[in-house]
Amino acid sequence: MTEALRALGVLAEPPCSEHAAIAAALELPPPPSADEHMAVLGFQLPPYASIYLGAEGMLGGEARDRIAGFWRALGGQPPREPDHLSVLCAALAELAGADPRIRTARAALYWEHVASWMPPYLAALRRIGSPFHAAWAATLDAVFAAEAEVIGPPSALPLALRAVAAPEGPPADLDALLGAVLAPVRIGMVITRDDLARCAAVLGFGLRAGERRFALRSLLGQDAGEVLGWLAGEARRQADAHGGGSMIPRWWQARGRAGADWLDGLARAAAGSPAIAG
Amino acid sequence: MRDPKQLDARVSAARQAVEARGETFYPGASRIHLAAFPPRERWDDWVEVDARTPERRERRYMLVPTTCFNCESACGLLAYVDRERLEVRKLEGNPEHPGSRGRNCAKGPATLNQVTDPDRILTPLKRVGERGEGRWAQVSWDEALDDIAARIRRAITEGRGNEVMYHVGRPGEDGYTERVLAAWGIDGHNSHTNICSSGGRAGYHYWMGFDRPSPDYGNADVIVLVSAHLESGHYFNPHAQRIVEARQRGAKLIVLDVRLSNTASQADHWIAPQPGSEAAIFLAIAHHLIATGRHDRGFVERWWNWQEYMAVALGRPGASFAEFEAELAALWSHYTFEFAAREAGVDAEALRAIADVIAGAGTRLASHVWRSAAAGNLGGWQVSRTLFLLNALLGAVACEGGTYPNGWNKFVPRPIHTPPHPPRWNELTWPVEYPLAMNELSFLLPHLVGDGRGALEVYFTRVYNPVWTNPDGFSWIEMLTDPDKVRLHVALTPTWNETAQYADYVLPMGVGSERHDLHSYETHDAQWLGFRQPVLRAARARLGAAVADTRQANPGEVWEENELWIELSWRIDPDGALGIRRHFESRERPGEKLGVDEYYRHIFERAVPGLPARAAAEGLAPLDYMRRYGVFEVRRGIGPVHAEAVPAAELDDAVTDALGRVYTRAPKPAPDNIVPVPTPDGDAEGRRRAGIAVDGRVVRGFPTPSGRLELWSRTLAEWGWPEHALPTYIESHVHPRALAADQLVLIPTFRLPVQVHTRSGNAKWLDEIAHTNPLWIHPRDAARIGVETGGLVRVETEIGYFVVKAWVTEGIRPGVVACSHHMGRWKLAGAERGQGQVMATVALDRDAGPDGVRWTMRRRQGVGPYASSDPDTRRIWWSDVGVHQNLTFPVHPDPISGMHCWHQAVRVRRAEPGDRHADIFVDTEKSRAAYRSWLARTRPAHQVSPDGTRRPYWLLRPLKPAREVYALPGLLPRTP
Repeated sequence: MTEALRALGVLAEPPCSEHAAIAAALELPPPPSADEHMAVLGFQLPPYASIYLGAEGMLGGEARDRIAGFWRALGGQPPREPDHLSVLCAALAELAGADPRIRTARAALYWEHVASWMPPYLAALRRIGSPFHAAWAATLDAVFAAEAEVIGPPSALPLALRAVAAPEGPPADLDALLGAVLAPVRIGMVITRDDLARCAAVLGFGLRAGERRFALRSLLGQDAGEVLGWLAGEARRQADAHGGGSMIPRWWQARGRAGADWLDGLARAAAGSPAIAG
Repeated sequence: MRDPKQLDARVSAARQAVEARGETFYPGASRIHLAAFPPRERWDDWVEVDARTPERRERRYMLVPTTCFNCESACGLLAYVDRERLEVRKLEGNPEHPGSRGRNCAKGPATLNQVTDPDRILTPLKRVGERGEGRWAQVSWDEALDDIAARIRRAITEGRGNEVMYHVGRPGEDGYTERVLAAWGIDGHNSHTNICSSGGRAGYHYWMGFDRPSPDYGNADVIVLVSAHLESGHYFNPHAQRIVEARQRGAKLIVLDVRLSNTASQADHWIAPQPGSEAAIFLAIAHHLIATGRHDRGFVERWWNWQEYMAVALGRPGASFAEFEAELAALWSHYTFEFAAREAGVDAEALRAIADVIAGAGTRLASHVWRSAAAGNLGGWQVSRTLFLLNALLGAVACEGGTYPNGWNKFVPRPIHTPPHPPRWNELTWPVEYPLAMNELSFLLPHLVGDGRGALEVYFTRVYNPVWTNPDGFSWIEMLTDPDKVRLHVALTPTWNETAQYADYVLPMGVGSERHDLHSYETHDAQWLGFRQPVLRAARARLGAAVADTRQANPGEVWEENELWIELSWRIDPDGALGIRRHFESRERPGEKLGVDEYYRHIFERAVPGLPARAAAEGLAPLDYMRRYGVFEVRRGIGPVHAEAVPAAELDDAVTDALGRVYTRAPKPAPDNIVPVPTPDGDAEGRRRAGIAVDGRVVRGFPTPSGRLELWSRTLAEWGWPEHALPTYIESHVHPRALAADQLVLIPTFRLPVQVHTRSGNAKWLDEIAHTNPLWIHPRDAARIGVETGGLVRVETEIGYFVVKAWVTEGIRPGVVACSHHMGRWKLAGAERGQGQVMATVALDRDAGPDGVRWTMRRRQGVGPYASSDPDTRRIWWSDVGVHQNLTFPVHPDPISGMHCWHQAVRVRRAEPGDRHADIFVDTEKSRAAYRSWLARTRPAHQVSPDGTRRPYWLLRPLKPAREVYALPGLLPRTP
């Protein structure tokens, strides 16, 4: 599956004229314009593993270092953007071969650093993306499934998923709450800008334009109980969407349900004091 | 959705179809970060949005590659030529270049500044009035060339060929100009190398034959630098990027630098030794490796010339390796860490720690010294010799992660014409006192001419500025202003410089994007060939407009040297009677003038293995391929050439001597790579050297007299220096024992990261970043002298003094001061022309008295805003351009390598009340005395030559004359 993987990975990069031929070869719709690409993969769902696997829900940090360490363990030099989906797909393609050590490395790369964040990421892409992105996500899903069949099941849950605990108890402050809600690996769901817009629309609240933390802070300031309740429902919806399959989607499902329960508790507690001062 | 396996096959087929057309299917993962490059199939018509207009405005470019000309690294550049206006709009890295890999330092993109420099020289100029008066008249190229050619012709026909001299600073090419001079039949090549790298070269040359290292940094586990490579070293960019990659992999970096340079700040181990003590440190480490048994015994036994050492030096022929090892164990036993620590003024344990790091490198030790300590000290060549000893002990030679001989990592193709070696020896460049000098004694020229050893009919300075770059510049001014000593001085230069002010003709030459050259350098274990080209000429050709003369495409009447030399040679020998013209004739059109298109077409079609096939695969002719991509990787993964078996066909009537050298009567196959290689002699019966016997096989070995790595140099021993034939420690002329109690050591050799001698002064971006050179001084010394940062100090040398601002910093060791000699540019008051961004205006006062000439330079005006065609010159905010300290340095030629030993013993004190920043005073009679004093250290060839020749024939020489002129006049060659 090396060629298809590499081609799909390239389409995570900013569009250029070569992408048309690649998309056609993959039987995908015409690739998006630069603006569409930026809207989806630049602002909403940056294709970096560290954002979805890191406890901070941000680019870089320990999650990225862990992936860089994979390259060092192989005796190589980490790429500049080691956790970018394009780089990871290219790496999987590079690690094709019959040598048992290569096979082991490929399996480790796939399960630890790719498959570990694909369930919520691809689901979010289907949810908010353009027709191209939805089709791209579906094809990625299918190719990864085929890849998993070749590689064989993982021997253990990926470290990134084991390393980060779900939130428990009341958050220390609003910043702690925002940090937990916006870190997919902690809360078990992916909240995009579009999701927050949907939340505001459903609840009839005003959405302040800005990055997610700013917008969510503003929403919580309007009626924390309502917003936390919506988030709990969203976490449950996203969790329920993960099918059975391997231990990784099951983990995301369980983490999402735990996140939903935690948010429900916070929503109930907030019901008496609807506004949270930011 | 299609089955993933089918999808995979479908994509694969699509990719193959696209790549079969020579196009890019995958634009590459690099596009997600800033290292993105335009795909090469779109280089004909590349669209970018103009960053300088508020509205979206697309600009269409033709991307034309060339090679940077601002240092010797030969990094690839990509010129963005505006398709509408046919102007270069910017220069970025060439991603196709295997050495620089699309990455450049600041000097590469700043080539654009050099193109658009409002002060650049655009037409040929002829002096009006006296030399140095600063008045010029525009002349035609024809007028200038006819005058110059007539003088050269007369000198040659009158047997005064050695009065024609070409003095080069930055060659930027591999052998073209040497062949021009050979075609003229003169020994007229004069390089700047003895003020630059001869010390470093000599130490490598005596070990492995080749005179420069090619460290495989990218694969090294331990890197040792005696310099500031990461910021400003000789191969700054290609080497620095590989050092950074190695460090990211976990490699350890050891830096010896008396300054806390940016490079030192990145080191895992930084040693700031007393200047000149470096060899003592390396010998202590070498002894540690031997004493602890961590050297590679097998490598030493196979590849060192230990048998020759035992047999000839110690008189023990037939000695076993075990006996040698006993000698080896004792050889440097007195170089303990404690001894080295005393010499270096550092902690012995710190030295032991780096010794253990080096020991752990095994064969992955990459090391380098080029200028720095090797260029600063008497005996500095032993710094490179003792540093490479560490590689030789560990077997870290010509292997992955080790250090290669440069000649194996460089490619020089055979040109269309190869004239014979000139039948002359020039005493002005290769004086008899320096038989082992690595390069021409260029910086002694005023003194040698002053001694009456010769005069110059035509003296070319080409991209060279000896008045400013060399030590003792006032002696140069005295020579250049004396019409009996220099009858015609022609400055070939893209930009104004101090020396050109004293020229008779100033002829404008192109910068890196305006000229042709072939250029190859050792950047890693591969061989590549870079093509420099006038990008506007190439762009026009792509659009179908043939250009036969580079002047038609360059700004003004700016030319390039390749075409200039062809034209000049035809004018020297218009009818071919002198036998010169034939070397500049077309082969495609016999009897007609050779053009540069044919010159390079011939090379690319016939002399670069693999290039025609690669070009054909893209449907291109080889010349078109090089014009399109600018570079070709000939080979990669060269590996240990010394261990390659010599084919049986090359072993006709082979004999092996007692030292294992194998000689053959088989003719030497013509190599495709004509990179300069030393030429050890054959045997007494006329056989040539084919290789050496190792483990029962005949292998190539090294191009040294013994065929092996030379622990002991028979050449040094037989040519008068037996005490230095082994790697050893020579006390520097600035050793503490040589200093008076109130003297400090001045280090002038380091670069400012973006500036390189005169070359970069016409780049406004670089000038804005770096334009001055304060004196680094330790707080302890500053307190003693009573000066603070910004305060003026007088730095007194042997022949005068300069006044400079102090920079008080703990980034330098006490007892040492440092001032970069890449600053301090000036132009004469009253001169019509000059570079306005970085040249201060000065007044020179010459006071000739009965006891000599005293010179004073005083700054009239620093730089400042001025009106020009470039609005940026109105925005110049700096005025200080530093101090020209080199004027105050006497010549210090190392008696063996010939290297100018740059470091100075100085007295530093607070400036006098009347002193002003950048004041200079020099007594050139003291310069003469210093010259004579260092000359007295030499052991001239007529006293020490073992065979009646001027110089060991096997040693490299930039322009090698015919063998018969090696014989010393009046001496019969002795039978070896």
